[in-house]
Amino acid sequence: MKSLIELDEGSLAVISSIKGDRRYLSRITSIGLNAGCMIKMLQNVHARPVLVFGRDTMIALSREESRNIFVEDAAK
Amino acid sequence: MTIERRIALLGQPNSGKSTVFNALTGAHQHVGNWPGKTVERKEGRFRHNDADYTVIDLPGAYSLSANSDEEIITRDCIASGNINLVCILADASQLERSLFMLADYAGIKIPAMLVVTMVDVAEAQGKQVDVTKLEKTLGIPVVGIVAPERKNYGEFYVKLEESFENPRLVDSRRLQALFQSSDGNGAYKKALSLVPKEGAGNFSGHWLASKLVEGDVLAARMVDSLSGGKAGMDFSSNARDGNLYTSECKFRWIEELLSDAVTRNKNVSGVLTRFDRLAISRRWGKLIALGIIALGIAASMIVAMPIMGIGLGLPKAVGPLVMRLADAGVPSWLAAFLNDVLVNALSWVISMVGFVFGVNFVFGLIEDVGYMARISYSFDNTMSKLGLQGKSIMPMIISLGCTIGGAAGTRVIDSWGQKILTIALVWAVPCGATFAVIPTLANAFFGWGSILVMVLLFLIMFVHIIVTAKIFGRKLSPVAERTGIIMELPPYHKPHWKALFRTTLDRVWGVFRKAFVVVIAVAALFWLLAYSSDGDASRTVLYKIGTAIEPVTRFLGMRWQAFIAFLSSMISKEAVLGVTSVLFAGGGTIFSATARSTAADSGIGAILAAAMTKPEALAFMVAVTFNVPCLMALSSTYQESHSLKWTIRIALYYIFTALLLSCIVFHLSKLFF
Repeated sequence: MKSLIELDEGSLAVISSIKGDRRYLSRITSIGLNAGCMIKMLQNVHARPVLVFGRDTMIALSREESRNIFVEDAAK
Repeated sequence: MTIERRIALLGQPNSGKSTVFNALTGAHQHVGNWPGKTVERKEGRFRHNDADYTVIDLPGAYSLSANSDEEIITRDCIASGNINLVCILADASQLERSLFMLADYAGIKIPAMLVVTMVDVAEAQGKQVDVTKLEKTLGIPVVGIVAPERKNYGEFYVKLEESFENPRLVDSRRLQALFQSSDGNGAYKKALSLVPKEGAGNFSGHWLASKLVEGDVLAARMVDSLSGGKAGMDFSSNARDGNLYTSECKFRWIEELLSDAVTRNKNVSGVLTRFDRLAISRRWGKLIALGIIALGIAASMIVAMPIMGIGLGLPKAVGPLVMRLADAGVPSWLAAFLNDVLVNALSWVISMVGFVFGVNFVFGLIEDVGYMARISYSFDNTMSKLGLQGKSIMPMIISLGCTIGGAAGTRVIDSWGQKILTIALVWAVPCGATFAVIPTLANAFFGWGSILVMVLLFLIMFVHIIVTAKIFGRKLSPVAERTGIIMELPPYHKPHWKALFRTTLDRVWGVFRKAFVVVIAVAALFWLLAYSSDGDASRTVLYKIGTAIEPVTRFLGMRWQAFIAFLSSMISKEAVLGVTSVLFAGGGTIFSATARSTAADSGIGAILAAAMTKPEALAFMVAVTFNVPCLMALSSTYQESHSLKWTIRIALYYIFTALLLSCIVFHLSKLFF
């Protein structure tokens, strides 16, 4: 298990858990990123939000909060 | 007899909600604010087959939890009981994600229908949505539409009427079963035992229970007020990670729902297009964004030009005719009033509307095709420091050209608070008119040093923006409520020209009507203050006020002439040269100089250099630059904010800070010059 921010560009992963207050959990799950959701890392560079693809949607997430999203590598 | 029906539109951002709202109601809209909240309230009307419909556009939210003002208002609206039908919208191209709102709604006892939008985009991606299957499983009418194509709304109206003839609730039995079967730690069962079996008001028991599990305060309060205890509050405040559990159930429900209702011919790759790679890249993203914004401003000007031409030509064309009224027996002061105020106001408003139209159309287009979210992405790091979304950079850049356009450009910002905050900041950005006026003045006093004056103005601008963001941000974008970016970047799609044109036109017509009233009122007031029967400036009320308070304004760095020019710069920045010219050199009246019908004396630089000291000149330039930008920007702000209170607040703040800056610059520069 590693944090989303450690995921390499182009790799696939499944979200295993998300840490955060109620407000954040509500917001992140309602946009489609919940535990069990398969995602692909599209861009992960310094000083830009991370960009993932999940549930047919490109989603930008702040780097700070992405540290609290944990993922398991998934095979292609 | 006509029937009155009230429907509410509910959907996540980018679900096509506003487009449907505009298509249904056209120009019959009323936009205001929810009482006491910094959230926009949109209501509209339309008529179909002898029924009058009132449409409430519920604020854009991702769910029905009660964590933001938008969500709380949506909840209150649903609880209030004066909505007959809720139209839930979902984007067909991202149906799984977009149906979360429906899953969150299931269990609420107001009849609903589902509107699946962007079926054209979905089809282009190889996805077919079978609405009949969805109808069967959900138990409510479902219709697929392309939201901007109003002529294809036939099926929508059929389903709408069906929803009223045979009102149905979303079938949530399967969702309840999932809540129960995945209830590992027994939290849901415990919550169910706390809520009344039949639910409360419009909320069913299992809906309230799932919200308690999520730690929802509104649901807990509702449960406690019925039972008289505090078990609901106790339970929900201890709820941890409830959202993770409920969202898993909701998405499983959606996946089951879609498993046989959506067919895919090809897999959506999720691979970025070559353009997108550049548009979001660290190296090029910002540059491309700035380039597109600059092109957007140029395109806005081209769109605006014909309308602005009419506006600017009006005083020359109509003015002489109005003045001839005096020959026809109308008192000459009245003819002058009509010419000065009415004709000029009309001219200003038409020009302004032209520019607002251009900006709304062009930047609406950039939003429509999906690029705006990329701007937001690229500038998120920079703008979030001010408490804003990345796309707030766009109005700021437009403001280098014109503050009116900057204020109008905030339309694409979806949070009302951040929209007003952005407007409050764009006022600090020196506009094109400043660049026309200040170098002339600076050159007269400082020669080559005028470049340093411009540098100073930009330095002040940065500090101003940072300080203003702190002051206004406290209320408009409270630090406690700021979250990091969680934003979808929608796929690019072809623009819907017709719908965009119509929406912009409807909107701009509203701008025109409102602006005209504001502009007439302020222009008339200024005219009266600047009126004297023989045109002599020293017999005007402005002169009397200016000279009476001169001891104070002198301390701030302005003699009475400069102070009156400062006041007139609130009407129009370009006025500054003309008005100072009238006051220091005579010729023409203050008002006509403000309205620019009197040209500035060609030797204005030399005249001023003889009449003002260097510290005074510097203070004056700073005061004018950071004053209220112009009457049209004020009106544009009122139009975008729908709030007289905030418009006046921002205006007073700018007058105050401009005077303060003037004072500081005056006294500091006295040490040097």
